[in-house]
Amino acid sequence: MKKKFFSKVVPALFVSSILIAGCSSGDEGESGSAAEDEITLNIFQGKVEFKDQFESLVEKYEEENPGVNIEVETVGGGTDYAPVLKSKFSSGDEPNIFNVTGPQDVIDYKKYLTDLADTDAAQAAFDGTLATVTDGEKILGLPFNQEGYGLIYNKKVFEEAGIDPTSILSYEDLEAAVKTIDSQKEDLGLEAVFALPAKEAWVLGDHLANAFLAPEFNHDVMESFNADTVTFEKGAEMKRFLDLQNEYSVQPVLSLDYSQQVEEYFSLQKVALIQQGNWIFPSVEQMDPEFAQNIGVLPIPVEGFEGSIPVGVPNYWAVNNNFDEEVVQASKDFLDWMYTSETGKDFVINEFKFIPAYEGYDTEKISDPLSKDVYDYASNGKTIGWIFAGYPSNPWGTGVIGPNMQKYLAGEMTWEEVEADAIAKWEEARAQQ
Amino acid sequence: MRNRDLSFWLFLTPVLLGLGLVVILPLLYGTVYSFTDWNGLTANKFLGLDNYKRLLEDEEFLNSIWFTIKFSVVSVILLNVLGLGLALLVTRQLKSSNFLRTIFFMPNLIGGLILGFIWQFIFVSVFEDIGAALQIEGLQGWLSTTSTGFWGLVILTCWQMAGYIMIIYIAYLQNIPKELIEAAKIDGANSFQRFRTITFPLVAPAFTVSMFLTLSSSFKIYDQNLSLTNGGPFESTQMVAMEIVKTAFSANEMAYGQAKAVVFFVIVSIIALTQVYYNKKREVDM
Repeated sequence: MKKKFFSKVVPALFVSSILIAGCSSGDEGESGSAAEDEITLNIFQGKVEFKDQFESLVEKYEEENPGVNIEVETVGGGTDYAPVLKSKFSSGDEPNIFNVTGPQDVIDYKKYLTDLADTDAAQAAFDGTLATVTDGEKILGLPFNQEGYGLIYNKKVFEEAGIDPTSILSYEDLEAAVKTIDSQKEDLGLEAVFALPAKEAWVLGDHLANAFLAPEFNHDVMESFNADTVTFEKGAEMKRFLDLQNEYSVQPVLSLDYSQQVEEYFSLQKVALIQQGNWIFPSVEQMDPEFAQNIGVLPIPVEGFEGSIPVGVPNYWAVNNNFDEEVVQASKDFLDWMYTSETGKDFVINEFKFIPAYEGYDTEKISDPLSKDVYDYASNGKTIGWIFAGYPSNPWGTGVIGPNMQKYLAGEMTWEEVEADAIAKWEEARAQQ
Repeated sequence: MRNRDLSFWLFLTPVLLGLGLVVILPLLYGTVYSFTDWNGLTANKFLGLDNYKRLLEDEEFLNSIWFTIKFSVVSVILLNVLGLGLALLVTRQLKSSNFLRTIFFMPNLIGGLILGFIWQFIFVSVFEDIGAALQIEGLQGWLSTTSTGFWGLVILTCWQMAGYIMIIYIAYLQNIPKELIEAAKIDGANSFQRFRTITFPLVAPAFTVSMFLTLSSSFKIYDQNLSLTNGGPFESTQMVAMEIVKTAFSANEMAYGQAKAVVFFVIVSIIALTQVYYNKKREVDM
């Protein structure tokens, strides 16, 4: 019996203990603040594009502040970030600094959000960039940056076709320019004028629709967030702008995606115009650095707002107040330093390539032509609101109006049905809240 | 099976523990959450069957179930026909049969996401160019309509899984006694008669296994769906798994998504268990 015990039970015990031990290690040394006088901050952020640059900024901060140790974790993309953040909170592994993207996030995480009104960064933030995160006197987040979108164009094509891009303001101007380019597309070496990535519901539902819906909510994201209905005042304009892009686009638009639009067609100069934002610059630069210096942003033609483009804040930093006072303060200090110190500012503009949402920056230094254009529109007040963060979160932009527009393009829905269904679903979602 | 002594259970403990922690417990938790208004952070109210009632009127969910059923029927049939066909091909005394086995099995080693992107390129760019060169309209605009999206997914799944199913059939084909075939040959049965009356009944157990595998895996497809069509155009090629993920994570309705997942679980179990039961009955014992 004894022999059997050793020959069978002991190895079994051994195997079990290894497996169980394997599951339980890994928790060591992880906590909001270490017991020593050193403070550890965990930052959980969702902008993959600037991960490396952000980490080197963090290293600089750690050098300057020996008492602070910062750990950065990045998970990319809008839909990937939110569930991971949620599971972090529900499992008790809360980060000190995290991101909130819209009014719904602010409500969901309200009890964790620290008031940042006393930070220098909050004072320096541009008017209007804090609307989403303001709660009475409290400011619950700090803007990452500003982003803008419009029609990104190939300057060389416009020059060769003899069109002055600065003269394009209204829909009629744009239509005329598109027709001119289309008539010479063989000489210009183009496949089509536009590349409309209708496979991407966010390009249609979030961005395109936003430009024409913003005026009815007075360009205010909180107004759209609180609106019980949507009326499509500019529905006819939305339709003709979509039709124009579709008619003069590379076909079939329904299987054309974002990377084909930006890389295959625009960067290789097979199309003259694409509806996108300043975030595409790194991709274009990677494909063709020379061409990347020769592009600019044209306005989206919305009647009454000619010559304007939608500009907004896509993301905010939030500080978790569920920690000791000194840890919360250290988190605030870091964010303040990032946006208001000389080193931080230098990084924001030159390394992150952000369009700053704060005063006190030497904007001459903005190097990429798209950000420069967006900044010019913004500083001249030529902007359209960025209200899609206030759409109902079922999600209305990519789940309702975007797919409806796809159906319209496929001929399975009339434009009247697109609007009627989108209005009904908006009201339904608001009624449920 | 009699000697279930202490060591039997000790060896089993880690597996049972793992299974319990990552399968059974979440399943129970999830079922409980599906009766509440859980949003991922907190559950405030007990809603009873409200989430389940909502399901019955959720067109998008019902469409995705219908699409998944259509897809599964077509791909189960095609996969088994292809798998058996390939198995019969490589079990003949061909010189290249080992090489062919490897080739047919290979796609199964590539991850679903990557396969999806590869086939997206083939459907969208390669098909387009071939179609333009040969003036075949049917090859153009793939993945931009519901039906090409559907067949795109079917082709992708068959490409990926047929080799795996082939391996299962090969195993059973090689177990068929040579004497039976020889006896039939002497009796003058031609190759079709030999296949119909000897080979086919004797590989029936393989049919049970591979039908179960193909059925459950085509129901649960997510990654291929995500990378090939991402549900488009207009969410018409969205399978159930993807619809559930979207409800939970994009629409932020965790409890409602959970209710969908519970229903999905029940449907898949019923179909799979019924299928295994009936197939088992049909099997022939030697």
